[in-house]
Amino acid sequence: MNDAGLPLPKPTIMPLGDAALLVRFATALTPEANSAAVALAQALGGDRVPGVVEIVPNLVSVLVRYDPLRTDPAQLAGELRLRLARLDSAGTSGTQHRIETRFGGAEGPDLDEVAGLLGLTAAEFVQAHNRAPLRVLATGFAPGFVYCGFHPPELVLPRRTTVRRAVPPGSVLFAAGQTAIAATEIPTGWHVILRSGCGRPNAAGSG
Amino acid sequence: MSAAITIVRAGPLTTIQDEGRHGLLASGISASGPMDAAGFAHAAELVGVDARGGIEFTTAGLELAVTGGACRIGWAGGAFTARHNGEPVNWPGAAQLETGDRLGITPGPAGNYGYLRFDRDLEVPAVLGSLATSSRAQLGGLAGQALQAGDRLVLGNSATGQPRRHPPAPVPADNSFRVIWGIHADLFSPQARQAFVAGRFDVTAQMDRMGVRLRDTAGAFAGAGALSLVSDAIVPGDIQILGDGTPIVLMRDHQPTGGYPRIATIISADLDRFAQQRPGTAIAFQPVSVEHAHRLVRGETV
Repeated sequence: MNDAGLPLPKPTIMPLGDAALLVRFATALTPEANSAAVALAQALGGDRVPGVVEIVPNLVSVLVRYDPLRTDPAQLAGELRLRLARLDSAGTSGTQHRIETRFGGAEGPDLDEVAGLLGLTAAEFVQAHNRAPLRVLATGFAPGFVYCGFHPPELVLPRRTTVRRAVPPGSVLFAAGQTAIAATEIPTGWHVILRSGCGRPNAAGSG
Repeated sequence: MSAAITIVRAGPLTTIQDEGRHGLLASGISASGPMDAAGFAHAAELVGVDARGGIEFTTAGLELAVTGGACRIGWAGGAFTARHNGEPVNWPGAAQLETGDRLGITPGPAGNYGYLRFDRDLEVPAVLGSLATSSRAQLGGLAGQALQAGDRLVLGNSATGQPRRHPPAPVPADNSFRVIWGIHADLFSPQARQAFVAGRFDVTAQMDRMGVRLRDTAGAFAGAGALSLVSDAIVPGDIQILGDGTPIVLMRDHQPTGGYPRIATIISADLDRFAQQRPGTAIAFQPVSVEHAHRLVRGETV
C-alpha cells in the first residue's frame, strides 16, 4: 500500500544519546509522517551508509544508530539529508497479509462495549473494522507487535481509562484509530476486541 | 575437555549475558547485555581469554560449585566479597577451580552488579545470535529465565581470543553523570531543565535490568503534568519522566519504544558507572555535547 501524492513533511534530525540520531517527521501521528518514516527506513535499509549499525522505523520517526568510532553526527546528518532530498513516500512497497481472527466472547472481552460506544452492533462493528485493508504503521513496541491503521473517523475511540496488566499473545487491540496485534503477553490500555492466530512466534523472530 | 558448574545459590536477577543482541529493535527486542559492560570485560581480562558468555549477579549474591572438570574463573564489577572454598580471595580476581571447588559471592562495599567469566565458552544455545538473557522478552540464557539453584552449565570449547580492553571512562571530579539533552527536552519548562541540572536525585531500590527509578528530592518535575506523545524510539540511558514527575533511567533491557517524555540520555561512557550506584546514592546530571561524549568513547582526555 502507498500514499501517493502526499507531500513529505519536513523532518528534524536530532541526537538521541551519543550513538544515534532520530529523524522525526512530526510530533503527532499523521499518515504523512508515518509514510515518510516508513519510506526513509526502506531507503536506508537498501543503502549501507558508512558507520550506521541499525535502522529502526517508528510511528513518525526513524532511529539511526551509529558507531561513534566510524562516523560522527554531522557527517551522518549530511548523508541522511542527501537521502531525504530524494525520498519519495509514494515509492514504498508492501505485502498484503490476511490475518485469521476469532471475534468477541472471552477472546475479545471489549468487543460489545466498543461496538456500543460507536453506536453499532458487534456484527456491524466487525464488518466496518474489516471493510478495508490496514497498513502496518510500525513495529517494535514488543516482540512481534504491530500497529496498523488508519481507521476512518467514525471508528476512532480513545484508550480505556484503566490498564490491563496482561493480555494474552494474539490479542487484537483497538484504540486511537488503530488496530494492533500483540504477539506476546503485554500490559495495555487498549480495547481487546479479538484474538488472532499470531501467538508468540518462535523466539520472537520476525517483526 | 569440557567442564561443568552447578549453581548452588542465586539471587533472583542472576543472568547469563554476552555483549548483547543488537540490531533487533524493529522486532521489539532491546539488546540486553551486561549492565556494567566494563566490569564484564574486566572479568575476561582477568581470565586471560575472551570466552563466550558470562554470569551477571547482583547484591543478592551467588554460590556455585565445579561439578565436572576444571576451569579458570575471573570475577569483577563493583566491589563484592568472594570466597574460594570458604577462603576470602581478592576482588576483582581470578582463580583455577577444580572438581568439587566452590566459589561464593556476597555483597561488598559497592556496586549492584558483578560478573563471572570463564576460560571456556558457556554452552547455551544462542537465540537470535546472542546468549544474553532478556528479562523483558524472556529469551536467551537458560530458556529465557534467570539462573536458579540447581541449574547446571556446561563450559565447552577452550577460548583463545584475546579479551578486548574496555577501560572505564574517567570519572568527573564532582562524580556527576553526563547527559545529552533528550528528544523531548524542549517540552520541559526552562525552570524544570534548570532544576534537572542543579538538583540531586536519589537512586531508589526500584531497579532492575529494565530501568532505575529515581527520587526527585528537589521536586524538579513536580507538577510537570502528563504529556500525550507519540511513542518513539528508546535507547539505554534515556531518562523518562512519568506523569507524576518520577524520573526513570532506562537500562539494558529497556522497552524498545515509549511514550513518556525524555529529558536527557546518560552518555555511553557513564552508563556502566550509573548501573553500579546503590539505592540511596544522591546523583547529579551534567549536560555535555555529543562531541564531548565521543571524545570519552575514544578514550581521549577531555
